[in-house]
Amino acid sequence: METNHEDKIVCRNISKIFIQKGTQRVHVLDDISVNVKRNEFLVILGPGQSGKSTLLRIIAGLETPTTGEISLDGKEIEGPGADRGLVFQSYMLFPWKTVMGNVELGPKLRGIGKKERREIASHYIDLVGLKNFENHYPHQLSGGMKQRVGIARAYANNPELMLLDEPFGQLDAQTRYFMEKETARIWETERRTVLFVTNNIEEAIYLGDRIISLKGKLPGRMHQSYQVDLPRPREHLDMKFLELRHQITEASDLTL
Amino acid sequence: MADATATIANEVQCAVRERRPFSIAATLKNKWFLYAVSITAFFGIWKYVDYTQVLGNGIAPPEAVVVQIFRLTGDTIAGKSLWGHIWASTYRVLIGFAIASAIAVPLGIIMALNRYVNAIVKPVFDLLKPMPPFAWISCAILWFGIDEPSKIFIIVVGTFVPCLLNSYMGIRLIEPQLYDVIRMLGGTRRDEILQVGFPAAFPAIFAGLQISVSIAWTCVLSAELVSARSGLGFIIIQGMQLSKPALVLAGMVVLAFVAWATTLLITGLEKILCPWKREAVVA
Repeated sequence: METNHEDKIVCRNISKIFIQKGTQRVHVLDDISVNVKRNEFLVILGPGQSGKSTLLRIIAGLETPTTGEISLDGKEIEGPGADRGLVFQSYMLFPWKTVMGNVELGPKLRGIGKKERREIASHYIDLVGLKNFENHYPHQLSGGMKQRVGIARAYANNPELMLLDEPFGQLDAQTRYFMEKETARIWETERRTVLFVTNNIEEAIYLGDRIISLKGKLPGRMHQSYQVDLPRPREHLDMKFLELRHQITEASDLTL
Repeated sequence: MADATATIANEVQCAVRERRPFSIAATLKNKWFLYAVSITAFFGIWKYVDYTQVLGNGIAPPEAVVVQIFRLTGDTIAGKSLWGHIWASTYRVLIGFAIASAIAVPLGIIMALNRYVNAIVKPVFDLLKPMPPFAWISCAILWFGIDEPSKIFIIVVGTFVPCLLNSYMGIRLIEPQLYDVIRMLGGTRRDEILQVGFPAAFPAIFAGLQISVSIAWTCVLSAELVSARSGLGFIIIQGMQLSKPALVLAGMVVLAFVAWATTLLITGLEKILCPWKREAVVA
C-alpha cells in the first residue's frame, strides 16, 4: 500500500456485509476508499441507511470490514483503541459518574495519576465550555451539555483521530447551530484529524475541509467528493456557501 | 468573541418551588392534607367495622390494639419480651437474607457475563424458580429440624430467586454501546466488567434486594406460623389460638413497622452507593 506521509487514515476497498438472523445478508458498504489527511476535518455526508455510521465504526475498530484494508499511520487497524476517540450520537455518558469522572476516565484507564488526570480533564472541560459543571451528573445536564462532555471525554484521551457519529442528531435546531460553532472553535483551538458523519448538508459545509458523500440506499457507495475552500468562521448565508449547498443538494437525494 | 459558557445550551434543570398564597382550594389539594385524610379515614373505617361488629369477635378496635402493644412491651410471652420476639424474627430475616444475597447476586452477575455458567445454572434455576418457598417447609423440617436452621432455609430459598433474577437482568439490560465507550477509551475486558458492568447493574441489584427483603418477611412469617416458639409470627399464632384479636392485630402492626425499618436500611444503603439515581417524583 503506498501511503502519502500526509495521510492519517487510508481505507481501501472497504465492504461490509452483516449476517443477520443466521442467513440474511445485509450489504451495508460497497467498495469505499478514503484517504484522510493529517489534521483534516473530513465530513462523511449521506442520507439515512447509507452505511456511514458503519464506516465510522469500522475505522474505530468496533467492526471488522468484510473486505478491504484500513490503516492508521500506516499500521493496520485491528480493534478499538485509545488512539481513536469516538463521540456517540446518543452521548453514552456513564450516568454513575460526574462530568469530571466521565472525562478523566480515559487517562484513568491508562494509569495516569490523579492530579495529572484532573488537570487534563479540567483543561478539556474548560475547552468545551463547561467550566463550573465538573461535579454534575449527566442527568442534570441538557442534551447539548451532555454532548460536550462526550467531546471532552474523547479529547481527554489525546487520540490521533476524532470520530464523531452524527453527534448533533438528537439536538434541536438552535442547539445544533450552537454546537456546530462550538465544534469549529474547539477544533481550531486544538487541531486533530476529524472524521465527522452527518446527514445535514449545511452542517457538512460549515464544518468540513472536505466532504465525501455516500449514495442513498444500502449498500452505501461513494458518490462525490467536494473540497470546501471557504475561510473560517463560515457564514451560512455567504454566496459561495449557498452555491456549494445548492450543488450538493442537486447532486444527492438529500433535502435539508 | 462571546463568552462560550453563556449559551442557550447551558440550561441546568432545577426544581423551583413557588410559594403560593393560602386558600381553601389549595389546602384541599395539598399532598400532606390528603395523606392525613387518608390515614384518618382508614382508622375511622376500622373503628366503624369494630363498632358494628360486622366481623363479630374477630376484630379489635384500634385503641385495644394500641393498649395491647403497650402491654406486650411490659409482659413476656413464652418467656420472651416483645423486643425478644422482634429480634428473633429480625435475626432470622437478616441471616437468611445475607446468605441468599451473598450467593445470588454474584451468581446472577457471573451467569450474565459467562455463557457457560449460564448454560449450567439456568435450567435448574428455571425449574425451581416458580415454586413458592413455603412448599419447601416439609423438607426443611425433615432436614434441619424444627428449630432455627429450617426457618432460615425457607428465607434463603425465597430470597434467592429475586436477587439472582434482578442481578442477571441488571447486567443483561446494559446498553451495549456503553461497552464500546470503554473499549474506545482503551479499556480491557476486565475494565468492561468493573467499570461498566457493576455500576450499571447497581440500580437493578438494589431493586432485587428490596423485593427480597419483603419476601424474606413473608417467608419468616409462614415458617413461624408452622413451628416456632418465638418471633412475631409466633405472637400472631398465639393471638389466634387464644382468640385474642387484639393480640393478632398487635403482632401485625409491630411486624409492619419492623419490616418497614429493614426496607429503610436497604434504601439508605442504595442512597449511599448510587447517588446518581434520579429521584422518582410522585406528585
